[in-house]
Amino acid sequence: MSSAEILNELREIMIDVFDVDDLEVTPATTAEDVEEWDSLSHVRLVVAVERKFKIKFKNSEIEALKSVGDLVNLIEAKTAA
Amino acid sequence: MSETASDPLAEILAGLPNTRAVIDSVLAVWPEHAAYLAKSLQARTPAMLAATEAAATAVRRLTAGNEATVAADYRWTCDRLREEELFFHREERYRLSTFAEAMAEVYSDHAYMARYVNGLLLTQVLWFNHVATFEMFLNRVLGAQTQPFDYLEVGPGHGLMVYFAAASSLSRSLEAWDVSAVSLRETAAALDKMGVEKPVSLTEVDILKAGQSERRYDLIVISEVLEHLERPEQALRFLTTALKPDGRIFVNVPLNSPSPDHIYLLSSPDEVTALVEGVGLKVETMELYATQAKKLESALRNRITVSAGLVARRA
Repeated sequence: MSSAEILNELREIMIDVFDVDDLEVTPATTAEDVEEWDSLSHVRLVVAVERKFKIKFKNSEIEALKSVGDLVNLIEAKTAA
Repeated sequence: MSETASDPLAEILAGLPNTRAVIDSVLAVWPEHAAYLAKSLQARTPAMLAATEAAATAVRRLTAGNEATVAADYRWTCDRLREEELFFHREERYRLSTFAEAMAEVYSDHAYMARYVNGLLLTQVLWFNHVATFEMFLNRVLGAQTQPFDYLEVGPGHGLMVYFAAASSLSRSLEAWDVSAVSLRETAAALDKMGVEKPVSLTEVDILKAGQSERRYDLIVISEVLEHLERPEQALRFLTTALKPDGRIFVNVPLNSPSPDHIYLLSSPDEVTALVEGVGLKVETMELYATQAKKLESALRNRITVSAGLVARRA
């Protein structure tokens, strides 16, 4: 799956987890750009991503995530492994 | 840029000096928490803000001289809770399921408990759902008493609710029970620090092993206790025997609330009603408040914590 495809899937997951009608997402998007993206919804986002891509993150990886781009890169690395 | 725009909390907190002090102590050790706290406060009604300040005033007496440690312990507690959230959403259950496990991992670890209890104390000011059910307790539970009343609380913790019950001109007698003598000593010390105005009888009682209550009460409170029990219906069944015929019980229990020592999972308001009414009580009112004032339907669907506060009578 390409980065663009992962980003698109991620956008769908974020719309669902954050319970919003639409969301503009780029690799540079961070929690500060999305009102519904707080520490608690971050946990649900991570778990939804784990389910969708059938991967599992380490705690240190979850804490290090700063942007959508970080998450795309991590998903890409994990699904390629 | 106005001061209000640069500090969205300034306007809300004007006139709430004790709330401001608690928030400042937390932001000093955890500046990144500002947006969360702003959202939590912005969602509060005027009555909730008044309840926030009442709680903050008591909390400041309890933490005087120790503010920075307590604030750091709040941050530490939130880290522990986030670990439990991760487990909960992955596995769709609480990590522990027996009292023995909670005893081994949490209750018997005094260093852990000291931090955890400090952290939970600040949530009484900082978390929307905790303040919202506290406001319900002050205004629609205590505030609804029209006659002198005998009060019993099970699992009083820091004694905040006992303290406010004692402050009611209508409270005639006050009792608090806990299964742990250590917890009761802490409750006693906390009531002293807050300056409780009436005598409070603190008794070591295991309501899961007690038969029928010897005394009966007009108002019984069990707040954030049932989720710590393997068989919460046993506790409620006993408390039903302790209610006067016209007495009321206030139950505060969280749904989908993973914590290091929560072992009994309730996922919907219907499950709470079934639990309470299954022991011969009738729910009169229930108020539901989601974390951060999120929409209730969405919170329940997404398994975000919702506090359920209810008043019941004998059926």
